[in-house]
Amino acid sequence: MKVTLFDYGAGNLHSLAKALALAEPRADGRIESDPGAALDTRVVVLPGVGAFGPAAARLAPARERVREALAGGLPCVAICLGMQLLFDRSDEGAGEGLGLVPGRVRALEAERVPHMGWNVLEWAGVGAGGASGPPWPEHGSAPLALAYFAHSFVCAPGDERAVLAWTRHEDDRFPSLVRVANTIGAQFHPEKSSAPGLAFLREALAAVTSGEGAAR
Amino acid sequence: MLTRRLIACLDVQGERVVKGVKFVGLRDVGEPAEMAVRYEREGADEIVFLDIAATHEERATFLDVVRRTAERLFVPLTVGGGLRTVDDATRALRAGADKVSFNSAPVERPELLSECAERFGAQCVVASIDAARVDGAWRVFTRGGRNATALDAVEWARECVRRGAGEILLTSVDRDGARDGYDLELTRAVARAVPVPVIASGGAGDASHVVAALREGEADAALVAGILHDGVTTVARLKQAMKAAGVPVRPAPAPLEGSTTC
Repeated sequence: MKVTLFDYGAGNLHSLAKALALAEPRADGRIESDPGAALDTRVVVLPGVGAFGPAAARLAPARERVREALAGGLPCVAICLGMQLLFDRSDEGAGEGLGLVPGRVRALEAERVPHMGWNVLEWAGVGAGGASGPPWPEHGSAPLALAYFAHSFVCAPGDERAVLAWTRHEDDRFPSLVRVANTIGAQFHPEKSSAPGLAFLREALAAVTSGEGAAR
Repeated sequence: MLTRRLIACLDVQGERVVKGVKFVGLRDVGEPAEMAVRYEREGADEIVFLDIAATHEERATFLDVVRRTAERLFVPLTVGGGLRTVDDATRALRAGADKVSFNSAPVERPELLSECAERFGAQCVVASIDAARVDGAWRVFTRGGRNATALDAVEWARECVRRGAGEILLTSVDRDGARDGYDLELTRAVARAVPVPVIASGGAGDASHVVAALREGEADAALVAGILHDGVTTVARLKQAMKAAGVPVRPAPAPLEGSTTC
């Protein structure tokens, strides 16, 4: 399985690449900065660290191609700022997101920000993630319970059916995991969530490649 | 609910983790990557590496150590000690650090914090503050606690956050190494003054101290070093004690059979 990390210039890819290789030994992992090459893959991984504005600017030249590919069913795992880039826009900065998930990105409403550390994933019930794929996590596997977060902005989806899991910080509740088409977005860092995070990555790769239209 | 973090700190000199022993210099306690991975397996929520290189050779080696560790470590790694410029931070992050911690340099040039926050995001900029009690207030110290400044520690913490720091690593110079508990008053004063997470450091002797730092001290995280390296306690035992005291924690992971994940 060809797994490609899209290096559009916003993120430390080292540990994510290493985590993917360990999580799924059958994955043939690569890092590509050219959008065409990055999208010629079985699964594209969209990383992201830092602020929305600069990341959206770096993604801009590839935006249309990435959007079309993901909307067309290309399996994708988007992490942290990568997940926020799946949305339309962000209050954090200028620029367009991919617009794959309707909604915007807003500031976290809490006394202590950034939201930094290990927090709980509250998995949404049956029907979450839309009708685009089988229920996930697969029956029988223990879903990820705690993951490592480090962010100040959160996603506000227009349609909550896209949300697979929610997380709370103080009185604010926000999506920690979304799914649209064959794309999964995680607000947390699976590559920093120790062994359960690596197990999550393995399941996420399986989930995005098992959906309708993903078997190419 | 956000759990409280237990952070293991390693002083790295060249290829080795060392530990200060009063008046008789440094003692070798192990290999950095090995120790970091062991602490992760025991349930440490984050790892901090402080570069205490004494020579250019040791400083050059440090980034290799970070690189080798980052390849095997799957919890966040903060790197500090001797970082003075945006380029220093860039190199540390490229080597695989998730956060960079600044101590002395921003005291001379606070803009450094904003430059790094703009470039990398506030979530990866840690302001490390060494404070000691002087005449009823807490004064900021630099150069490993040797150099007193005119800065008030609580005010300086606020300033660091205004400049873009996303986290404060607060060390009590008075308590460091004494193992009779964190400076709870200092920790609480800073935790109440800033809107970012505060890591209590300096003085951990047992689990009750860690619990107190998170409860009475109102810290988001507690940093421990010597008591782990010396085998006085383990990450798993500290986590159990935190949980028993009602502090929300990520439980120490169950040992994985035949695990090759690290």
